[in-house]
Amino acid sequence: PLSVSPAADPAVISPQDPTLLIGSSLVATCTVSPDFPQKAEDLYWTLNGRRLPAASYTALGPSTLSVALARLNGSRQQSGDNLVCHSRDGGILAGSCLYVGLPPEKPVNITCWSKNMKDLTCKWAPGTEGETFLHTNYTLKYKRRWYGQDNTCQEYHTAGTYSCHIPKDLALFTPYEIWVEASNRLGVAVSDVVMLDILDVVTTDPPSDVHVSRVGDLEDQLSVRWSSPPALKDFLFQAKYQIQYRVEDSSEWKVGGHRRCRGTARGGRGSGCSHLPPLQVVDDVGNQTSCRLAGLRPGTVYFVQVRCNPFSIYGSKKAGIWSDWSNPTAASTPRSERVAGGCDPKGGEQNTTLRRELKQFFGWVKKHAYGCSNLGIKLYDQWRVWLQKSHKTRNQVGKEP
Amino acid sequence: SPTGDSWGIFTFLCAALCNLPALPALNCSEELGAGQSIQQTYDLTRYLEHQLRTLAGTYLNYLGPPFNEPDFNPPRLARAERVPSATVDLDLWRGLTDNARLAANYRAYSRLLCYLRVLDSQVGTAELRHRLAHFCASLQGLVLSIGGVMSSLGYPLPAGPAGSPVPPGAPAAPNDFLKKMDDFWLLKELQTWLWRSAKDFNRLKKKVPPAMVTLRLEAREF
Repeated sequence: PLSVSPAADPAVISPQDPTLLIGSSLVATCTVSPDFPQKAEDLYWTLNGRRLPAASYTALGPSTLSVALARLNGSRQQSGDNLVCHSRDGGILAGSCLYVGLPPEKPVNITCWSKNMKDLTCKWAPGTEGETFLHTNYTLKYKRRWYGQDNTCQEYHTAGTYSCHIPKDLALFTPYEIWVEASNRLGVAVSDVVMLDILDVVTTDPPSDVHVSRVGDLEDQLSVRWSSPPALKDFLFQAKYQIQYRVEDSSEWKVGGHRRCRGTARGGRGSGCSHLPPLQVVDDVGNQTSCRLAGLRPGTVYFVQVRCNPFSIYGSKKAGIWSDWSNPTAASTPRSERVAGGCDPKGGEQNTTLRRELKQFFGWVKKHAYGCSNLGIKLYDQWRVWLQKSHKTRNQVGKEP
Repeated sequence: SPTGDSWGIFTFLCAALCNLPALPALNCSEELGAGQSIQQTYDLTRYLEHQLRTLAGTYLNYLGPPFNEPDFNPPRLARAERVPSATVDLDLWRGLTDNARLAANYRAYSRLLCYLRVLDSQVGTAELRHRLAHFCASLQGLVLSIGGVMSSLGYPLPAGPAGSPVPPGAPAAPNDFLKKMDDFWLLKELQTWLWRSAKDFNRLKKKVPPAMVTLRLEAREF
């Protein structure tokens, strides 16, 4: 179907937008329309902006020039290589997009997890170590074992490029078959089928309301309190927790134990300048969950995060999958006046002064300027956390399996 | 000095809050006169111009050479005109009434938005789709902003669909290469319109005084 435009296209290339396997050869022709006074010998070809050698041209007629391309490499860009037929003065007469690549390989490493048993997110890896050079579409499919219908996942890229999210209509206590189909212009590949029961891959939200506070005047301790994620109440499972914390300027996270924080405080207490690794102290307060961190450095800002793992789901002994870490909460240990020098954390002192001044400033802003009610010292703290996170060396490693 | 750092941090925080792309501009003032709307629309065109530079760079790289070469200048084949051109006779431009000036902008960006949305649905890589979606959201903001200025000055909005599917008179490109050329020209036209709009709104600014002086914090160049 041609567009009804007043002037025809100056030339026509054949083949138009072909798909080819890597290594194949191609002969393309450019035929100039009678309305345009161009002779075959005046034309030339470019591929991705580079002129092709005249030795590869052949005139097939007064207004038709062909070019021979041998052993094609994979397409430079997924939108296709640009093969262009030019008139003598360099003007573009016509173009054709070449799609040169490989068929896809079987996707691999399918892993899935369910948030609070309500949904299912899966991710996978593409099979090809190198590239297919062509745009490859991935479709995640699933069905209940022994029941007919295939279903297709709709929400992609929720947890990275190769991921998909199934938001509803999932059944418990029944095995699912899950697989991924990869397709591009050159073919299709299907992954192996993974079988799982939703109950085996449950994770939950991180704990909420994480509060970190000082323990009276104790310089080397902080108390961490949190609430279990609300979803836990709906289901018959318990949870175990993990805490990690670090000093503001360090990139190294220290991990605390499970719901029952076990450990013996090893000296260092009261010396003010503890160089021993911080440990935790048991502090079990009934239903509410808490933990005490000890052996910390005085007068230091700490970031603390907590995460949660549902286990004993409907009575099974299996553990689920660890949740994400809660947003970091900051708190500082007190510093008594009598601690002599030698222990001064470099930069820590400045930061607390700066922070204090900022707090005063925000108080003043609230009183004297209109609007801007979102500003406050909390925002500054969050910014500091964000600043720390955005340094590559300080990024925590991804979820534990 | 600590006080210097504090000010820097405060400016950063306000800039971050006031320039979050997905949200309407956080305004530390209460009232918005027509003058203020024009200023905001002007700011939005400058912001979009900046965004477009990155988007166009990425998109043209996706199309591949010669499309991403700086001196690339393909013929505009005699296909139906997709978007009213931004280029206009200088005397004609000077003589435009405020209403006509605003209406031209409103119509142009409404159509550009349509075409960009079609692009969004077809484009290959996830990164590009994400950038395009982001840009479309900002462009939608511009259309609304212009509409707001027109309303506050008492002008009726131009008739016709803003945001409906591709208007008639724009047939789809018959092959992939011609589509690439169409995409190239769409981005070029968008760029030209943003340059022109800055001048349009500058002119309008001078004619409509701002309602009140407000404290505005300039974002640092990123």
